[in-house]
Amino acid sequence: MARMIGQPIVMKPKLISQLALATVWLLTGSLAVADQDSKIVFEKQIRPILKQHCFHCHGEEKEVSAGLDLRLRRFLAQGGDSGAAIMPSDPENSLLIEVLRSGQMPEGKDKLPDQEIDLIAKWIQQGAPTARSEPETVAELDAFTEEERNWWSLQPIAAPQVPAANELTDSRNPIDRFIARSLQQSGLTFSPAADARTLIRRLQFDLTGLPPTPDEITAFTEQSKDAPESAYRSLLERLLNSPAYGERWARHWLDIAGYADSNGFDEKDVVREHAWRYRDYVIRSLNNDKPYDQFIREQLAGDEIAASLGMHANSPEEQDRARYAELLTATGFLRMAPDGSVSQNNITTRNQCVADTIKIISTTLYGMTIECAQCHNHRYDPITQADYYSLRAIFDPGFDVPRWRVPKNRLVSLQTKQQAEQAANIEKEAKKIDAERNAQQKQFIAEVLEKELAKRDEAIRDDLRVAYNSDAKQRTKEQTKLLSEHPSINKLSASSLYLYDSTYKTKHAATLKEITARAQAIRDTKPTEEFVHAFTELANDPKAVVTTHVFFRGNPEAPKEKVLPSDLSVLASWRSTELAEFSDAVPTTGRRLAFARSVTDGKHPLLARVIVNRVWKHHFGRGLVSSAGDFGVLGERPSHPELLDWLATEFMESGWSLKTLHRLILTSQTWQQSSKRSTRGDQIDPDNQLLSRQKTRRIEAEALRDALLAVTGKLNRKPFGPPIPVMPTTDGSIVVGNDTTDSAGRQTGKYIPLHGEEYRRSIYVQVRRSRPLDLLTTFDAPSMTDPNCISRPETTVSPQSLLMMNNSGMRAHARHFAQRLQNTGPPDQDSQIRTAFELCYGRKASETEIANSKNFINAQQQYYKDNPAKFENESGPAEKENASAQALALAAFCHALLSTNEFLYID
Amino acid sequence: MSHSRRHFLQSSYGAGLVALATLMDDRESLANPKIAGKTGRFDNKPKPPHHPPRATAMISMVMQGGPSQIDLFDPKPALHDLDGKDFPGQVKYDDAAGATKEVMKAQWKFQKHGQCGMDFSELVPHMASIADEITMIRSMHTGVNNHGQSINALNNGSILNGRPSLGSWLTYGLGTENQNLPAFVALTDPRGLPVLGVGNFTNGWLPSIYQGTVVRPTEPRILNLDAPMSLRGEAQERYLSFVQNLNQSHLANRPGENELDARIQSFELAARMQSEAKDVLDFSDESQATLEMYGIHNKETKDFGTRCLLARRLVERGVRFVNLYTGNQTWDHHNHLATKLPAACKYVDQPAAALVKDLKQRGLLDSTIVHWGGEMGRLPVIQNRAGGKTDRKTVGRDHNTYGFTMWVAGGGFKAGYTHGETDEFGHNAIKDVVNHYDYHATLLHLFGLDSERLTFPRNGNDQRLILNSKARIVTELLS
Repeated sequence: MARMIGQPIVMKPKLISQLALATVWLLTGSLAVADQDSKIVFEKQIRPILKQHCFHCHGEEKEVSAGLDLRLRRFLAQGGDSGAAIMPSDPENSLLIEVLRSGQMPEGKDKLPDQEIDLIAKWIQQGAPTARSEPETVAELDAFTEEERNWWSLQPIAAPQVPAANELTDSRNPIDRFIARSLQQSGLTFSPAADARTLIRRLQFDLTGLPPTPDEITAFTEQSKDAPESAYRSLLERLLNSPAYGERWARHWLDIAGYADSNGFDEKDVVREHAWRYRDYVIRSLNNDKPYDQFIREQLAGDEIAASLGMHANSPEEQDRARYAELLTATGFLRMAPDGSVSQNNITTRNQCVADTIKIISTTLYGMTIECAQCHNHRYDPITQADYYSLRAIFDPGFDVPRWRVPKNRLVSLQTKQQAEQAANIEKEAKKIDAERNAQQKQFIAEVLEKELAKRDEAIRDDLRVAYNSDAKQRTKEQTKLLSEHPSINKLSASSLYLYDSTYKTKHAATLKEITARAQAIRDTKPTEEFVHAFTELANDPKAVVTTHVFFRGNPEAPKEKVLPSDLSVLASWRSTELAEFSDAVPTTGRRLAFARSVTDGKHPLLARVIVNRVWKHHFGRGLVSSAGDFGVLGERPSHPELLDWLATEFMESGWSLKTLHRLILTSQTWQQSSKRSTRGDQIDPDNQLLSRQKTRRIEAEALRDALLAVTGKLNRKPFGPPIPVMPTTDGSIVVGNDTTDSAGRQTGKYIPLHGEEYRRSIYVQVRRSRPLDLLTTFDAPSMTDPNCISRPETTVSPQSLLMMNNSGMRAHARHFAQRLQNTGPPDQDSQIRTAFELCYGRKASETEIANSKNFINAQQQYYKDNPAKFENESGPAEKENASAQALALAAFCHALLSTNEFLYID
Repeated sequence: MSHSRRHFLQSSYGAGLVALATLMDDRESLANPKIAGKTGRFDNKPKPPHHPPRATAMISMVMQGGPSQIDLFDPKPALHDLDGKDFPGQVKYDDAAGATKEVMKAQWKFQKHGQCGMDFSELVPHMASIADEITMIRSMHTGVNNHGQSINALNNGSILNGRPSLGSWLTYGLGTENQNLPAFVALTDPRGLPVLGVGNFTNGWLPSIYQGTVVRPTEPRILNLDAPMSLRGEAQERYLSFVQNLNQSHLANRPGENELDARIQSFELAARMQSEAKDVLDFSDESQATLEMYGIHNKETKDFGTRCLLARRLVERGVRFVNLYTGNQTWDHHNHLATKLPAACKYVDQPAAALVKDLKQRGLLDSTIVHWGGEMGRLPVIQNRAGGKTDRKTVGRDHNTYGFTMWVAGGGFKAGYTHGETDEFGHNAIKDVVNHYDYHATLLHLFGLDSERLTFPRNGNDQRLILNSKARIVTELLS
């Protein structure tokens, strides 16, 4: 549980009674006290209490204390060293009740709350019934109780009936029917629909992470007047088809995949040069609406899929080679975890990398805290330690810890044989030039040597020549001495040759340089060798495949019993969990492919529920399960369980199309509601779990940066490719820019411009774990020092406001915005103000706002006339000249608009 | 100096206790914080407590991972005789599979210190030097043997995530004495956040303005404190008032959106922080002796010492609550106790002791609670004996939340006093047990807050920090 970071847990409505129960739970830590009215049976109410307080000593250890095992009702009756623990129908004479009431047990712990002891006594009074006959064997005993197997998120996904319409809605969208039902039950109603202007801004940020332009807003609001539905539909389609959609939604995925362009682990934080291809793969996949099941299969087993299709780097067809590259790139998902083996390649760092990867996989696919079972059985969820290692066994052949490949050794080259031959031929040609250069160099050295000798006494010239030309190690003492007396001969070498150019007015260095350039020019014609940051298996001999063992307390140096690949064993009661250890279909073990197919078979209880919930969360600001990363006992129950299942089913039936899911949600009345609060709604449902309104939300960090670029007219929409670099500034903050720190870590102050690349979307900015971009982390973007980010926190703290006010990057944005106003629109102040409001907020400025803005700008302008100043740059050389008072004043106005809540929040 | 709390206290009320209740006239009356909800505006202005307080500020040094009380504060002679033998009773392991029954005595020598004769091991000589200033509680108990849950128990009163942390409750109830700095500051470790991450200083469902503000673990500690040359002074003031006018009318159209209001306030705070926060971060007015006392000249203690001194400077200026963390699992010594525990102690011992001494010499200790401790302690038996090995270089100790030690000082706690006992093996607290409910009840009491009245309305109920009606103010701990 060490790294378990859960979600905020919030209480549901249905207030008083549930809350009272919840409070009991909080007090006792027991899950058992609920619904006391129903018949008390061992499995449902009693076992959880005993499990919580007693099993540790009386059941789970190899030797049970006092010979008493409390895990089954019949063991209680049998008892231990002190006799029977319970006397059915006679609680007063039951030893268990006696030791609990006296506080003798649980030993050394707080006495159990009276209501729990009373419950146990009442159960004994009723004859100590069980729900069903108890398991026969020890093996079954170690398995899960029916209650554990019945945990909601581990059940088959249902296809619930869509509720009938009620008076709250006539919507035909099933989402609205489900929502209307629960609203009605709580005495709430939908809020009115948001107006067109609000809708386009909300929709565009939601789907593309960018603000709509004033023209787009005008067009949409005009069309909406006549035909709101078709206007909305066509807007929706336009945005879903925009390349910006993939750039926006890929960021959500990269959070949970733990995408980074560096290995992390320590301050060296070595860069991962080729990781960006995975980022591009995700963007392309989303833009192409690649079915989610396929998307998952590719990321888990792209290499094995390629092998099963007979595709490889040398496939004759270009499209096959491209597909091979895509499939390999997808497996980058399994290579996202931080990796310490770059700097410390040992069992600990290797194992940590594997464990982090398992965490990424399990949180992404299952939304469960499976990593908690690394050292022991999961404390709360039906996940055994063996389950954890059975999941790991799926991936171990690729990790191959004993024959660990450090990051640079696992890159897969995409070079074809033909390209390799071509490169070899070119190299051969280049080598010829190299030889030419060497010969030339030798000749030059000989020439200079003679010139130097000519300056010496004739008597020693021959001796010097012989000494110089003999191997340094073979020289006699006399020769060495002689040479040391003539340093200008002694030091003559290929590397010092250029120094003699000035003495003899020769141009040997230039000549050699020219030859080197010719060799390089030839080498430059080689086809570029591209690499993929991929996950592959090496061994194809079953005997050579690494076996997976349960690690004693998670310690990789203490392996215990061997386990085979399988899915969570708790699912075995209703679906197959076993996975073949080896496959004939592919040259590798095929375990990942088998797992990928199993988990996407359309029946797995978690995969579809978890992704549908995540998509919902990004559209509404919270999931139907608000703990998007924990579908287990410590997570939250779904607010609308039937809707969740209906959506999951619908999603799978639609061919796992995320865009179809977006359409379904975004055309709902529920999503299109106004975000305005009502007193009644706030009283009955303060967290808006029932969705009687939309939510006013701050835009995420990347959307903020991208919106700043878009509004100020600088945004560079160039997609894909190697990341835009980040660098530390002299004050230690991290900004976009070419890092010119020298090898000793000192800042050289050299500035290498990025020529517009610095204005590209945030998703293309390098994710260096040790150098998170300040603008982004200040607004809650993850720095990926953890393996992944399951859910971003939403903070409102003063460092964010300081950034808005004082950051030199903000100054640059303000200046660009002012330049845009000056250069593109009508030059009068009124027009500039109007345009600024429209660009920033997507609405017209009121007359009061225009008047206030004018006053502000004029006052600032007067101030700057008296107090001249230069503009600040985020990086690069400082401005030499003072800016005009007019420009500074307009920039101050622009800076102000960009700093406001209206810019930062969407309704 | 004009901003310092000391000055503020002395000029208004004389040194020592603060009779905040007398201030009611010129402060917004929010004796029951619940009222704030009805006004629709929450703030961090100082609010009168329910009764005269002993403490007005707190610095909590969170030793996440669980320092070994057996090797630091709670000597157990009985373990010397049993060393290497089987533990003669039940051990509650975090994980039975990883454990042994082999007893391991304290691996370092103990001595009594101070006039009070408090026990410390040789690993914490500086803490030993403040024996007469602190209260050692040897009978802490949360009874939940996982990091996350025990952190939550001590921090938000339940084992669950998502509830408001202690610092949030205190700032919600009392506001803060300095409107130019965040009310609740988290000083995180350069080696990473503790388990539960930012959940350690979350406001939970309290309004956003009560969340902890992180001051960065490395320089620059607070980014963007300098106003740009082209937008400072009068120009910046005009900019701010223009921004806030726009924000206010934006909020007026969105009644009830507390987060928008919180952001408006964070802007106001940011503007005020520009000079005040720079002043806090600038140590140039500290004497060499002070810097040396905190170990700032020494590589091993520089980091923690800098943050301890920063904590003092924050509290001195009226910040209500400061959390000071060591890195993720710094004290979770399941293995290699022999080397890892001394290293962890070295990192904090001198600075932590210096903090208490410094507060004392400045007359601030009376009104400032200092806390040092983790979410758990360790077991008296060996854990992770690697196969076949018999030495103790690699072994460690498992979690123990049933009886562990932490210390507190100042703010009304009894100096030079050792409270509570664990059993003869240091496993279970058996006498004068202090659980997290009692600890919170005692803290709230010292801050002049009545735990029954410090409530937040939610879901038709009054939510509280303390969920157990049996929580007790541990009066024995108080001076």
